[in-house]
Amino acid sequence: MTRPSRTVRLALAALAAAALAACAAPPKKDLGKFMAAQPRSILVLPVVNNSVDVTAGDYFLSTVPVPLAERGYYVFPVNLVKRLLEDDGLADASLVHGAPTGRVGNLFGADAVLYIVIQKWEAQWVLVSTSVTVQLEYTLRDAKTGDVIWQDKRTKTYSSDSGGGGLIGAIVNAAVTKASPNYMPLALQANWEALTYPGPGFPAGPYRAEYKHDYQPGAP
Amino acid sequence: MTTRPLLLVLLLAATGCGTPSMYAWGKYDDALYKHYRNPGEREEWVAALKTCVLEAEQEGRKTPPGLLAEYGYALLEEGNTKEAVVYFEKEKAKWPESAVLMDKMIRNAGKRPPAPPGAKGPASKLESKR
Repeated sequence: MTRPSRTVRLALAALAAAALAACAAPPKKDLGKFMAAQPRSILVLPVVNNSVDVTAGDYFLSTVPVPLAERGYYVFPVNLVKRLLEDDGLADASLVHGAPTGRVGNLFGADAVLYIVIQKWEAQWVLVSTSVTVQLEYTLRDAKTGDVIWQDKRTKTYSSDSGGGGLIGAIVNAAVTKASPNYMPLALQANWEALTYPGPGFPAGPYRAEYKHDYQPGAP
Repeated sequence: MTTRPLLLVLLLAATGCGTPSMYAWGKYDDALYKHYRNPGEREEWVAALKTCVLEAEQEGRKTPPGLLAEYGYALLEEGNTKEAVVYFEKEKAKWPESAVLMDKMIRNAGKRPPAPPGAKGPASKLESKR
């Protein structure tokens, strides 16, 4: 048997590398710390907003409790939490995010604290097409240790020239034409995606039937 | 007659998109959004929360976590301390995870001075700060 030619070997090596890369993406999330922490309750802090749209933080906050609680966790009343922090002189969300997790968690008796940062919340008009983008970073920390026990980042874009765009597209498009883009459908979609398990999300909480039965070590 | 159940299943499949909701949310997220968009419209906010709470109780479906406390806090802001405490107690009874916070709310509700006439909750309070 003759040895495969150099080109064939190179091609095979490239294929193997590509296959490995494909396996590696999306990167597997290590949920070990999450499983060890076993939170029952999640405190959602006011959202840090790095976009230029000053209303984004509060608007986005309103989309979080429903999908999160549906995952089977106790979710603290987001508006009550926000107002209490404001009364304590912490109206600036970045101050709250900068405080030690343990102290914030203790204040409310929470097992885990969810930090959300809006990186993008923007619309761009280029000639006749419009694109709307939201980008969010989610970080869940164990209130006892302060350790990050889960993380995710979502970017959702809708572009009016992407043709159709389905139902979400139709909703965003209808809003765009009124010159004030509606980011909410994209924000909702980002949350549902981020919280899907198996997927980017974390396993179900104590109020779901599959609690403690759905964990797949090394699931993406 | 045999087609009836099939139709029902199809209808359910068509309307309930994705997994069915565990809780009776009503229009909670919408109310929250509108509250942040128009913070001055306090009456709408309190009324919307009340509707959510009553609907969840009437439907006999599970009241979502946080809702009773949120309504209690809205009542507290209106100066209705007595009713507020009732809803903080309800939240605590339904969700043991809320006990630390609800105990605090109940304790502090007693200390809170009655709202002066004309006070309209946090909306006017925030304005006066600026």
